[in-house]
Amino acid sequence: MNTKKTVRFYLALWIAKLSVVAIRLLGRPATNLPGRLAMRICPDFFAVVEKPSYVLGVTGTNGKTTTCNLIEDVLRDQGIGFADNHEGGNIDTGILSALIKNTKLSGKKKKDLAVFEFDERSTVKSFPYIEPDVLLVTNLFRDSYKRNAHVDFIYSVLDKTIPSRTKLILNGEDLISSNLKEGNARVLFGIDTEKHAETPFPNRINDLTDCPVCGTKLEYVYRRYNHLGEAYCPKCGFGTKPFDYAVKKIDYVKNRIAVRHGKEETELKLLGTNLTDVYNTIAAFAALREYGIAAEKIASSFEKLKITETRYKEIKNGEYSSKGILAKGMNPVAISQVLNFIRSEKGNKEIVFMFEDLEVRAESCENVSWIYDVDFEFVNDESLKHVLVVGSRCYDVKARLLMAGIPEKIIDVCPKDADALQHVRYEGIDHWYVLFDITSTKIGWKLEEEIAKRMGGNNA
Amino acid sequence: MIIELLYPDTAMMFGDRGNADYLKACLPEAEFVRTSYTDEPYFVKHKPDLIYMGSMSEKTQKKVIECLMPYKEILRQRIEENVPVLFTNNASEVLFDYIEEEDGTKIPALGLYHLHVKQDLMHRYNCLVKGTYNGMTIVGYRTTFTFAYGDLESHPFVKVVKGTGMNKQSPIEGIHDHNLFATYLLGPFLLLNPDFVQYFLREVLGIKDAKPAYEETIREAYRRRLEEFNDSHTDFYQ
Repeated sequence: MNTKKTVRFYLALWIAKLSVVAIRLLGRPATNLPGRLAMRICPDFFAVVEKPSYVLGVTGTNGKTTTCNLIEDVLRDQGIGFADNHEGGNIDTGILSALIKNTKLSGKKKKDLAVFEFDERSTVKSFPYIEPDVLLVTNLFRDSYKRNAHVDFIYSVLDKTIPSRTKLILNGEDLISSNLKEGNARVLFGIDTEKHAETPFPNRINDLTDCPVCGTKLEYVYRRYNHLGEAYCPKCGFGTKPFDYAVKKIDYVKNRIAVRHGKEETELKLLGTNLTDVYNTIAAFAALREYGIAAEKIASSFEKLKITETRYKEIKNGEYSSKGILAKGMNPVAISQVLNFIRSEKGNKEIVFMFEDLEVRAESCENVSWIYDVDFEFVNDESLKHVLVVGSRCYDVKARLLMAGIPEKIIDVCPKDADALQHVRYEGIDHWYVLFDITSTKIGWKLEEEIAKRMGGNNA
Repeated sequence: MIIELLYPDTAMMFGDRGNADYLKACLPEAEFVRTSYTDEPYFVKHKPDLIYMGSMSEKTQKKVIECLMPYKEILRQRIEENVPVLFTNNASEVLFDYIEEEDGTKIPALGLYHLHVKQDLMHRYNCLVKGTYNGMTIVGYRTTFTFAYGDLESHPFVKVVKGTGMNKQSPIEGIHDHNLFATYLLGPFLLLNPDFVQYFLREVLGIKDAKPAYEETIREAYRRRLEEFNDSHTDFYQ
């Protein structure tokens, strides 16, 4: 692999940097174009471009972006500069675009620390060229069937691509991801309290029923959701190991968690109201501690953080509320978690499902087989008063809801997004939940706001 | 009525659990027998009314082949006895001669059909499929790491009109032999094809006057999907 900066390298660098200026002048959102251009002009670019001295990587199925944001917010608050790849995205050309941004015209790197979110599948193309010093793996679950197939596949990709020298920060309650790269140095994080199921009954999917070593059926001490929990093989002893970073206490009312690491105990502000937020918090804390930031500094930075409204927003009006929730389409585990959260809330509810992928809709016809792995059954109770399904696949989703036992009389379908508002019900309902995909955030937020204007008998 | 689900904990990926749940909805009186790795399959000593197996990981395929290998001749016999069998997505591949991995290793499969597949784990192939069977228009989605080759002509299931069949050159999708239906199509397959469900319930399972569950809803979903599949602007190869 050539790592020498050639004329071709500099040409690629300058043209790529020029493209960034052009994108900005055109007012377009930042993309991975600089990275793609650079590789086109100089195929060795990724190998040659200078990398920061310390790369903190984050990967996994769910929670990557939120955990990255937490890490970055703390670093920022602590006055520590870093490069990130939010603009370009998390595939190889996105990482490369971030490196280009972190490179001066002279070819020298700017920042010596990078916090990069890595798409799991794309590590095949990224890790040969950029080796994280530390890699946090949030968890491994089923994701897009079209792209990521299944957990076994993504596990095998990461197990092959993660460099041997990379120290791993792994979720000790995820017996799939926590067994990645056996020979690598690692620390485990987990929740060492409230050891019970989060769900009213087991999820439809569990990707770890049998011991990966000997094939014997695993015995679960507790299962939080899907395959997360504590489990052991009765035959070969494979199972959950002690956590290096353990959440010992969770207080959802005061929004605080207590974390034990070695002999230290630290109290952290919890940004959020559910278990996923706890996982993201402890994961970020572990990554920052492994980087070397003192626990009390991390805690003091967390005190200043606020919940960002990019994925969840609530509008209240007295006893009524309208909530917009980003529910990643084609990700059955993420949506099941959202439904479990909705189930746990009190009051009469309406749910609006608009998680169709609008980009696929524009060109093709979405494969919605994943909805049969979602636990719609979680919301089938007396408090659910109305369900509105929006989009081209509304009848497919309706069929699934009927199979979940949700009464047909409370289900309405609305193929056209623009007509959704007129089908929303208000009488007898206290809380509205609008679930939308990453491609439909604009219309999702808009609908949530319009509902908020009308809830509680108000006229818009 | 007894329906055997083979390895349901690991062989119902990609939403294929929906096929099993839908069968329950269509046949509320049916008894479902769940066969796990440590069980002798129910079909060994009995003739179930239907045997179903769904999508699985490549690692699970090897395990399933290992579990079914001692019973392959009995399975062949059951098929010849017209016991209904429905295998979806890569469950079909365990019936073939072998599965060829990327490094050329050939994993022997049950050898009931003279086909083989080649895996390409770095390239996932996705497409929409529209075809015909017995006068019905069949729709579904293909998402695989493999293509099948060999004797595709002896037991064709769906004739592909648009999309990809068993491989990129083949106009055939799936296997139909006696009452065995093996298809790569996901959706789940049954929920996407109400005409096929009605045919399957009445002609294959022999339940006269059977109707697909949630018929009005799934027929409307089918109508809309077919409209999109028939639209020349719809990209079949995503």
